[in-house]
Amino acid sequence: MLFRILEPQTKANQFWRDFDRLNDELTRSILDNQFGTSSHFPPVNVYTKEDEALVTCLLPGMDTDQIDINVKDNMLSIHGKKKTEELAEGTEVHRREIFQGEFHRSLELPFRVNQDQVSAKYVNGVLNIHLPRREEDKPKKVSINIG
Amino acid sequence: MNTLTTEKKQEVAEKSDGKELKQQIKVYSPNVDVYETDNSLLFRVEMPGVDDKSVEITIEKDQLQLEGKFQIGVEEKGQVRLAEYREGNYFRRFTIGKAIDSEKAVAKMKNGILELSIPKIEPKKTKVEIRNS
Repeated sequence: MLFRILEPQTKANQFWRDFDRLNDELTRSILDNQFGTSSHFPPVNVYTKEDEALVTCLLPGMDTDQIDINVKDNMLSIHGKKKTEELAEGTEVHRREIFQGEFHRSLELPFRVNQDQVSAKYVNGVLNIHLPRREEDKPKKVSINIG
Repeated sequence: MNTLTTEKKQEVAEKSDGKELKQQIKVYSPNVDVYETDNSLLFRVEMPGVDDKSVEITIEKDQLQLEGKFQIGVEEKGQVRLAEYREGNYFRRFTIGKAIDSEKAVAKMKNGILELSIPKIEPKKTKVEIRNS
């Protein structure tokens, strides 16, 4: 193999080094299966303010026209397709860890959203979606008159 | 599958007000695609949230090290409702088992993906003559 992860020099025995590497890869793949299932791609953070919500997701290497954002009431869904990298002929693949294919993610927001004013920005592989709260859903202050 | 897979923690001592604060920083191991063509090696590294200024690539002999700082700036964003990722650092190291010309390596960042291309070089062949004394 061309790429190998160097283990400390003390482990001179090739077998143990290979075994450790296998162990690492297995742990990694089990963890991926548990936490990295397709329903959890892309990872998302949700922030809320009184009058808007912000959803940020880690979506590196996308074209903006491949991302579909849909909002209905308090449901946000992000859908997209990561296209497969085209390789020149004779290219040898050593590692392929970057996700390719379709993904779909739905999120429930704590309030209903004004669909017409949703805006999204894509910077450095992070998608930021601003979702303003619907006027009738905003908390209203009631002043109390002392009679 | 996930953008942020294996992770470990790095202890960083930060000095503020003369006191040493120990802070735990998450270190993510970014996903990498590695390709080899006839004349170069190609690395594609997922580093969402990193701008090109905070990426560091070092090649020392056969060791390739990729680092990136990834900050979110939560304060102005509001109350956190769901946090599936946190800010931290990206770090990954590779050992390259081929002769490469690290001086001519080219890297660029595009949409959170770092693309690094390192040209390969043909190993020099030197013939040693045997002298008869």
